[in-house]
This record gives sequence, structure tokens and C-alpha cells, in this order.
Amino acid sequence: MTISKEIYTVLESIVGREYISDDPVICEGYRSGPGGYENGLGYERVMTAVPGCVIMPRTTEEVQKIVKVCYRNEVPYVPYSTGFYGPRSHPHVEDALLIDLKRMNDFVLDERHFYVEVGPGMVYSPIQEECMNHGAYVVIGGGGAQASAIANLIGDGWSPLSHRIGLPHRRILGTEMVLPDGEILRMGSLATGDDPFWGEGPGPDLRGLLRGYTGVRGCLGIVTRMAIKTLPFQPERLEPTGISPDTALSLPENRIKWINFIVPSKEAQEKAMREIGHAEIAGAVTKVPLFWRAIAKAECKEEFWDIWGKENEETIANFFIVRVLLIGFTSEEQMEYDERVLMDIMSELGGEARRTKPSDESWIKNADSAGMWLMCGGYVSLDYVIETLSQASEHGSSYAALKKKYTPPLMPDYGDPGWFQSFELGHQGYSEFLIYWDPDDDTNPVDQFYVDTSKMNIKNRYYTSLLGPHQPLYLTGPKYGPNYHKFMLKVKDEFDPKWMSHPPVPLAHDVFVERAPWMHNMKDWDSPDDLPK
Amino acid sequence: MAKELKVRYYKPKTDFKFDITDIENFVYDMSRCIKCKGCTWVDHTYMPGARFMTRCPSATKYEFDAYGAYGKMRIGHAMAEGRLQWNEKALEVLYACTLCGACDVGCKRNLDLEIELTLEALRVKAVKDGVGPMPAHKKIAEKIAKKHNYYGATHKTRTAWITDDIKPAKKADVVYFVGCTASYVNKEIAQSTAKILKAAGTDFMLMPDEWCCGNTVFSVGMWDEARAMAQRNVDKMRKTGAGTLLVSCAEGYRMWKVDYPKLLDISTDDLGFKVIHLVEYADEMIKNGNLKMKKPFDTRMTYHDPCSLSRLSEPWIPYEGKRGWMGCVEPRLQRRRGKHGVYAQPRDILKEIPGVNLVEMPRMRENAFCCGAGRGTKEAFPDFAQWAAKHRLEEVTEIGAETLVTACPWCKNNFIQAVKANGDDVQVLDISEVIRASIES
Repeated sequence: MTISKEIYTVLESIVGREYISDDPVICEGYRSGPGGYENGLGYERVMTAVPGCVIMPRTTEEVQKIVKVCYRNEVPYVPYSTGFYGPRSHPHVEDALLIDLKRMNDFVLDERHFYVEVGPGMVYSPIQEECMNHGAYVVIGGGGAQASAIANLIGDGWSPLSHRIGLPHRRILGTEMVLPDGEILRMGSLATGDDPFWGEGPGPDLRGLLRGYTGVRGCLGIVTRMAIKTLPFQPERLEPTGISPDTALSLPENRIKWINFIVPSKEAQEKAMREIGHAEIAGAVTKVPLFWRAIAKAECKEEFWDIWGKENEETIANFFIVRVLLIGFTSEEQMEYDERVLMDIMSELGGEARRTKPSDESWIKNADSAGMWLMCGGYVSLDYVIETLSQASEHGSSYAALKKKYTPPLMPDYGDPGWFQSFELGHQGYSEFLIYWDPDDDTNPVDQFYVDTSKMNIKNRYYTSLLGPHQPLYLTGPKYGPNYHKFMLKVKDEFDPKWMSHPPVPLAHDVFVERAPWMHNMKDWDSPDDLPK
Repeated sequence: MAKELKVRYYKPKTDFKFDITDIENFVYDMSRCIKCKGCTWVDHTYMPGARFMTRCPSATKYEFDAYGAYGKMRIGHAMAEGRLQWNEKALEVLYACTLCGACDVGCKRNLDLEIELTLEALRVKAVKDGVGPMPAHKKIAEKIAKKHNYYGATHKTRTAWITDDIKPAKKADVVYFVGCTASYVNKEIAQSTAKILKAAGTDFMLMPDEWCCGNTVFSVGMWDEARAMAQRNVDKMRKTGAGTLLVSCAEGYRMWKVDYPKLLDISTDDLGFKVIHLVEYADEMIKNGNLKMKKPFDTRMTYHDPCSLSRLSEPWIPYEGKRGWMGCVEPRLQRRRGKHGVYAQPRDILKEIPGVNLVEMPRMRENAFCCGAGRGTKEAFPDFAQWAAKHRLEEVTEIGAETLVTACPWCKNNFIQAVKANGDDVQVLDISEVIRASIES
């Protein structure tokens, strides 16, 4: 329903007239696409709508009051932090209230107990700067330095630095969440007090429901505060250098350095990661998509294609890189020890160290996700799995094989198996597959590829991230559950019986398949007739 | 290039041009914004911490996404496609913006979208559609049309800043274009500039019958009027036969170096003369020994980068080409990313002055937070302009600077007004005054 004048007046009284607007110009500023993460695809065109009204609360109490009004008057709403996550973080129904949380950017650093407390409007790079100024660091997730730390951590939240620090949910010490009925739910150590230096609280830990594998996109409520664990870092200053666009952190090589190794085979690549983890050295160990190297070298989009155009299936199939970040966390001697161990491992595997710049352009402070759009204009990280190292590396190859069927419109990548790296000192392997396209092309096959990958994962028995709100729930739920989908929907009904918080998530992709005619031939699974249309 | 690839997709090529009189030239840029907000955040590598995180005054003040470049791109795109109509709010969104270029350099850190040109094109569209500029801008434009200066002052008093000890030459290779503000309001800047030129042994002349540079007229989208002013001023300058035009105002610098060529569809190199700011000249004179700054100035000083001297000041090169597969353009485009702005010279000058302890604000160079005065903002949104200046002054306070130096009268005046309103204990000076103080015995 349209937000009535009466409801608008009530909402206005909560935040003040400066922080609410239903002007069509203001609302247009919150359109999801056509550019951006996953934008320009069918999901964005079919499933997103410009909000009917935008409101900007400052405090948790204001959020509570707002959602109570919405709940009582059946106004659908969407929590929104930075809007970078594309269509899935934008309204899916007409006349929704968009709750823009950017004013909730409080930041508290507890130097002694190594944690920070942030609001949903606080993004990663300032957090990292503050942490580094106090001898600590956090992982800036692949979502980028401009991502809201809360949104990123209840979604994904990993990066190459996860080799040492580990999976993101382990770093959430406590959350404060406003439920759809306006009540507060505190989890982790925030459930017991205001000193959240420990990750546990009384009763069942509900952070798993909030996050799952990759989050549920605000369909269970709004996280208004989070305590995040920080970890000790090395003490030297990483000095910013250069003028935009050529900026980087200068690395003091006695305490921190990247080294790129070329190894002879995929087996050696995987073994190197395992051995480095086994030796418990390094701050990051990764193998990024090869076209990222071309992005880093290119001065512009056109030059990227000059560089990338020289590759072919053979050059890609025979190029194996391992990128290692060494950090002298405790001392220069520890750094020297780590480097000697690393060189021994690489020597045994036939790895050759290449000249590597003593700087960091991406990952420590500036996770450079925005540059991903440079070469094509359309991009999404299609899938990610966290498996064993050997399974993770197979996952990338299987994706590359399926991708051929959809190229074009997907960018020619000559079988590049994507991003592959070690998590938690090699105890886990991570694979992420990214796809790129020209938004001006016919993108219907991209939508189809998206669902096809889910079917491939089910067939190959990969435990995919593409569950819940990322794929049709009735496709993935029975296969990964067998009652995953029923469980998810019961949780949703329990938290949000009126389905006012970001409807129709978690059934949005199911609805998309029903609404988009070009997706109908993909549907070979059963779903109920009463899906929201 | 893409044509060499084995896999080649069909993509019809479209013509486009860096012509801001047609918004269609920038639909591609508006449609490719990804909402990373690189336009708003300080470059993450330089992110100074939980304070001073943003570099876009408009997005920082008004907060709704519509006021950031990411919102304006969506709004502009909807307007270009006829999905959204002008209203009062749209004009506010468009004009409560300092066009300071922070968004442009931020976007070109990653995506190379032409944000600044798009914003200029939207203002031209607003004027063409009969809704722009704002009433306050129209009043200024009328004054300029009638009196040839921004203030509506008597034209013949334009040279009243010249004191007995300043003797411009009748003919010289350097023309000092004084600009309206230094001519009528901040005469100390014009006088200091003239004395610096004299101290370095450089003869200079003035433009015969100098008129307003047209900065406000151009900036608010009045293309036809601005073009006529550009043509008139460039013709006059060419007639002098001088090889160099020197300015002491950053806005004037950008007009002469970037926007006149843009308006006249020529490159900066084709002007037929060189455009320099006083700081470029003084820096060279100091480095070659012709200007000696000996008198100490014991102060903890910081420097504010005027947008038009820094990230907006790269030379203009007209471009006309085709866009094809994956958005690649041909011929190859030399993009203006703000990297080669005038950043080092003012700092080098200030460091040369005995006693000066130059300290940087958290946001500096291409990440600097605009003072809020320029490009039509102060006229139509004076409260916003003052808010921006006060916000910038918080940085001055944070680093404990006693003296704030800039290189543009617009910045200087806006800061002085904010300092007075705040009751801050900060001295605001133009760099010409600082140099002059250090060379005079």
C-alpha cells in the first residue's frame, strides 16, 4: 500500500522532517540500477522498485519506532546501509519504505580488549585505519572498503586475509537487532551487557540464523549495532602514497610484504597453500582471477582488453600463481623466520618468486572491489564455496567449463577458474567465481547461467553459498536440507509473520523465476502455487 | 584492442562527444554508476579514520543518496530517458553541489566515468529546459551582462586596486588577469600578485578592458552566455600578443585553462597562450633563484587545495569518438583524472618560507573537502556554503593550525566568514599575501 499522509506524519515525527522524504527525485536516487553489482540483469529489472519513501534514523530507538509503525500499518520496508550490494538490497515491492541507515555510523574502539563497536553506516576503511593506529587490524571483506561492516559481516565478509584470521562469523562478538515487531534482540555477548569482548552469550546463538552462510538480506530484521573482533597487527605505519588513481599503501618490508610466486602446476599451487597453512605462516595466501592482473596493469578499459586479448586457453591453463602476504606480527625475527619457511616450501615445489612491489593496492585497507566493473560494466560474484582446498580448486574449474555454454554474452575468460585461496591456515579452501558481461548485450542467458550453476553445484555435490535469498529456495532447499527451505520459511514466519521486512525475501528468486518468461524453461523443480506474484 | 580477440561479439558502435550541451553524450556514464560511492568517500588508501571520511560536501550535508553523485547519476538518467520530471527538489539536488570534482576523481580511481561533465551537462539541460538556473544565479548573470563584473560594481573602477607603487606595463609577455574578486573585493590579492611579479623581475600587463571570466555563468549551465564571454576574453587576450596569462584566482584559472577551451571546442594547447596560476609562476621563480623568501613567518600553517587549481585543472582536450563492445572507446581517450593538478607547487612554496611549519589536514590534495563557495553554491545556497567551510575548519582545528592558506579568493572569503561566525582563532590568508610578506623586507 502507498504510505499515507497520516503514516508519513507519524514517521516524520520520529526522525524530523529533514530526514524523511517521499519526493520522487529523492526516491529515484535510491534506484538499484542499471549499473552495479548484479544490476542490469533480469533480477534487477523484474524484482526491484524505487522506494515510495526514504527515512534516515539516527538511533536504534528510532529504528524501533519506525518498524513498529510499519508493522502496525503493514508498510513493507527495506534496511539499507550503503546500497552497494545491488538489487538484493533494494526494495522488491512497490511503495516500500527504504530505511537508510547511513546516519547510524557510530564507532567505538576498545583498544584493551581488541574489538570495535559499529553502527550499520560505518564502512570498512575508517575502521581499518583506526584499528591500525591502535596496533590492530580487521579483514576488509571482498565487498570492498566502501562496504558497511555490518552488512558485509552478516553477508559474506571474507578476503585473502581470512587465511589467518578465519571466517567472518567468528569475529562477530555481539549484535543488536531490531525485529520486525520493533523489539530488540541482542546476541553474543551484547546479550548480557555492554562490554562485548567475548563472542558468546546465554542461550542458543542466533547469529547463525541471521547470517547463515551468506546472510538473509535483512528479511529477519535490522542489525543496528555490532561488536567486531580485531586482532593484533604489526606496529609499523603503512604510509599512503601516490595521487589518485595511482594510490597504494607503502609497506615496511621488514614487517610486511607481498611475494608473488609462479609455480609449475595446479597441484603445486594447492600444495603450496596447504603447506603454508600447515607451517602456520603468512597473513594471506591467494590466487586471484588472472584477469585481475590485467586490470592492475591496465591504465584504462581499452588497455585492459589489449592485455587480456593476448591471452588464450593455453596461456591461462598453464599459469599458476600463488600470492603470499607475510606479516611480522610479533617481530622482525618472526618475519624473517616466516620468509625462510616460505622459501623452503616454494623451493621444494619449484616455485619462483617474482619481483613484487613493496606496496599494497588492495586487501589491507582498500579492498578494491569497485574496479571490477572497469572492463565490462556488468559484474557479479556468482558463487563461492568454502570447502577443502582440493574441492575448492575443482569447483572453479567446473564453473569455467559450464561458463563456456554462456559465452557470449559472458566475457571471454579463456577458462580462468576464478579466485581460489586458503582459509584458516589451509584448513579450508575458498573458491569464488566471478562473471562479467556488457550490460548492453542480451543478458537473459546470464540469468539462466545463474540458476544453472546452482543445478551444477547440486549435481556435483558442492556445498554452495547460493542458498536462501540467492537462488530459488525451492530449488536449493530440498537438495541441501532436505527441509532447509521449510526451516528457513518457518524462521521467517516466526520473526516476521506479516512479511514486512524486505518482502518477498527469502522467496525473491523463486518469484523472479515465475515472473521472468525467459526463466520458465529453466524450472524443473516444484514450488507451491501460492508464491507471492 | 578488442578487435584482436578471437571471441568477438557483435556490438553496434555509438557516436559520442564531450559536448555538455547534449545530455545524451553522458547516458552511458550515468547508466554505469555502481553505487560504490567512491565519489563520496575519501580514497580508501588515504582514509583518515572515523572522522572526515567523506569528500563530497553535498552528500555529507544532505545525506540522502540523491545528493551524492550516485544519486544524481540515477536522477539524471531518469530525466534523460523521460522517466522523471524537473521539480523544486531536482533543482536543489542539482545546484546544492559545488561541482568541486571530488566525485570525478573518486570515480576515476576505479571506473573512469565522466561524472563532472555529466553534472555540468545536467545544469546545461536545466537551463535549456527552462527551469534553471536558480533565481540567485540569474541576478548575478544580469549584473555581469550589465556591468561586466560579478558584483555589479562600476566597470571603470575595476583597476582601482592599483596603488602608486604598482606599474603595469603597456606591453608585456605576461598578462595578469585579475578577476572580479581581486579587482573589487580582495584587492590585497591583486596587489600582492603584482608585487611578487615585480620582485621576481617580471613585467606584466593587464588585459585591456578586463571583463568577468564568467565562472558563475558557466557553472550554473548558461552555456550560450558563457560561450560568448569565453570568445570575447580569448579574442582580447590573443590580440595582446602575450604568451602567458597569469591568474591569482583558482576559479579563473579553471575557466581560462579548461572551460574556455571546452566552450570553444578547442584544446588548451590551441588557445595560443599559456595559462598559469600565480603559484606555478612563484614556484618556478623560487626554484630558479629569481624570488627569495627570506622574512620568517613563524606559524603552524596548513594549506587548503582550491578545487579548481587542483583536481579540476588538467588541460582540456576535445573528444569525439565511438563507443563499442564492453564500452570501449576509439580513438583512445586521454582521461582527465585529476592526477596532474597543481598540488606540489603551493606546498613547495610554503615550505620554503622560514619559520613555517606546514602540516597537512586529514583530507588533502585530490581528497580535499571543498570550502563550499564555488560554482554557484554560495549565491543560491549560502547556508550550505557556510556549513561546508565550517566543516573544513574542523580539520584545521584538529591539526592545531594557526594559519590557513589557500590560493583562491572564493575560498579565502568563505573561510573568513566561517571563522568569524565560529569565533575560531585561525588566520586565513591567500598564498599571494604569504609570499609577499616573506619577500618584503
